[in-house]
Amino acid sequence: MQKFTVSFLGRDCPGVVSTVSGLLNECGCNILAATQSLLLGEFAGIFITAVEEGLSREALQDSLERGLKKASLDLSLIVRPTCEGIWGEGEACAPFVVSADGIDGKGQIAGISRVFSRHGVNIESLRAFLGEEDEKRALFVFEIMVPASVDIGRLRRELACEGQTHGLRVSVQHRDIFEAVNRIESI
Amino acid sequence: MLSDREVTNTLNMLRNEHLDVRTVTLGVSLFDCVSHDLELFIANVQAKIARYASHLVPICNEIGAKYGIPVVNKRISVSPIAVVAAPFGPEGMVKVCKALDWAAKEAKVDFLGGYSALVEKGLANGDRALLESLPDALSQTERICSSINVASSRAGINMDAIALMGQQILGCAKASADKDGIACAKLVVFANIPQDVPFMAGAYLGVGEPDVVINVGVSGPGVVRKAIDRLLQRGTNDKGEPLSLLDMAEVIKRTAYKVTRVGEIIGTEVAQRLGLPFGVADLSLAPTPAVGDSVGEIFQSLGLSSIGAPGSTAVLAMLNDAVKKGGAFASSSVGGLSGAFIPVSEDSSIEDAAARGLLSMEKLEAMTSVCSVGLDMIAIPGDTPASSIAGIIADEMAIGMINHKTTAVRLIPVPGKKAGDVVSFGGLLGKATIMPVPQGDASRFIALGGRVPAPINSLKN
Repeated sequence: MQKFTVSFLGRDCPGVVSTVSGLLNECGCNILAATQSLLLGEFAGIFITAVEEGLSREALQDSLERGLKKASLDLSLIVRPTCEGIWGEGEACAPFVVSADGIDGKGQIAGISRVFSRHGVNIESLRAFLGEEDEKRALFVFEIMVPASVDIGRLRRELACEGQTHGLRVSVQHRDIFEAVNRIESI
Repeated sequence: MLSDREVTNTLNMLRNEHLDVRTVTLGVSLFDCVSHDLELFIANVQAKIARYASHLVPICNEIGAKYGIPVVNKRISVSPIAVVAAPFGPEGMVKVCKALDWAAKEAKVDFLGGYSALVEKGLANGDRALLESLPDALSQTERICSSINVASSRAGINMDAIALMGQQILGCAKASADKDGIACAKLVVFANIPQDVPFMAGAYLGVGEPDVVINVGVSGPGVVRKAIDRLLQRGTNDKGEPLSLLDMAEVIKRTAYKVTRVGEIIGTEVAQRLGLPFGVADLSLAPTPAVGDSVGEIFQSLGLSSIGAPGSTAVLAMLNDAVKKGGAFASSSVGGLSGAFIPVSEDSSIEDAAARGLLSMEKLEAMTSVCSVGLDMIAIPGDTPASSIAGIIADEMAIGMINHKTTAVRLIPVPGKKAGDVVSFGGLLGKATIMPVPQGDASRFIALGGRVPAPINSLKN
């Protein structure tokens, strides 16, 4: 068996998941993992699939595109071979949450994420909340994995410095505190 | 992935609502330091404290930074000095106190508690020496706190000790008259003192405790108030019904749960890093003079014009109980006092009510029957007779003894000041308007001495 990663992006409407998962089934794809997300009415779905050897990426893409057209769904499609392995596997990493808030402006996410990149820190989740309390304000929340080799104090200082240049107040906290405060562990 | 609400709620608690770990307190037993030789005893004590406390402050700072939650104070509590230093007289006790002060400075902690005596049933030689030493000991040191347990529900009230404490509180005030009697702010008289309190000035390490242990005190009156305000702003409960006190109690309980979880996670990690057992998390709403970090403001959010107004005792009862319920659910290691403190000078809103005459000593005393401590940080006229101070202590101890709860008295008779004058202690101790004490003479009652017997446990009404 070979693995392909298939992603769909486009306007959300009832029946999107039903259609794309049905198409994958018709194309002989066994879905191994899936995630979907909605952002301001835009749908994004990623599927890791297993298919029989011999079905090429191009052929799969072609079949799925035809299916989408037939279903009249305006979705962008990407099919690519699935990479083996996950970043950080086998490396000791700690989960942190970085939040940055201030007046919304250009280049803020790029600036903060550049610091992460410089330190070899991986962003696992990024969300932006705009105009929640004040229409000009923005809050960015990064959930990151920090390798044990990273000096967290230095990372914190550089993030604060970068945030300052963009008018953002940055805080860095271990993820456990959010879970401890908000969740009751299942037993 | 964390939900949006989880992230924003937690951030608000930390950034805008003064959530912090008020104290990580390292408890150190001194029983194995005992010696008949004063110098040897002092050397043993200082060596043991240094051995365990040298990494306390840096590790607390590191873990505070990791979670983004400041550990505001790092402190040490020790075995009752009246017991471990029993062979020494008052002068020896003062030397021990100074040695402890030096050890606290070396460890870079802000306070060390345990210059204490447990005298609810009688005064042993060491107890008497420690009580006699209090004015010199507390006025000649900076970081030492003292607690004297003079009553318990099992033993009754030691009125001889109370009479002596009335005099010694005045003695402490006189010895630190140049600093408005500040030595009294480091001295508390207790009934039913818990042996694992991490908060000062009542912290000491009891006889049944481990050799060395980490106890944590978390606070968060600002967090509780904001949670109530948010609920009020919403206007209805989860079912869309109009709000009632049940909803208020529920939101306080849930908030107390969250705050206690913070304390437990930090305390556990500090203990683990130091290779020590974790003792208790004490969730107590302990205010500071900062606006937004006040217990008194919670009373206003719950609909009273100020603390002291009719209804205050009921509000405090609900608040104290909801805090305990939330804390108990959050951790199996809840201990210490765990409730609400009402220290007058340390809470800007309570002090304001007292200054405007809306909160009297009598009302405070009534409120202490339902809160977790007692008459706390109250500045009184410097010429208050020792018998009146002893009488106030006796009243407060009676509340604790009969109700099987902790009560305490921390009064500061400010030399040269009279009712209505204002005194500033600085820092976390805040400022206070001198409060008048109840009129009348208690001297003959106090002079009787002896012991008020322990209460009966049946025929309760």
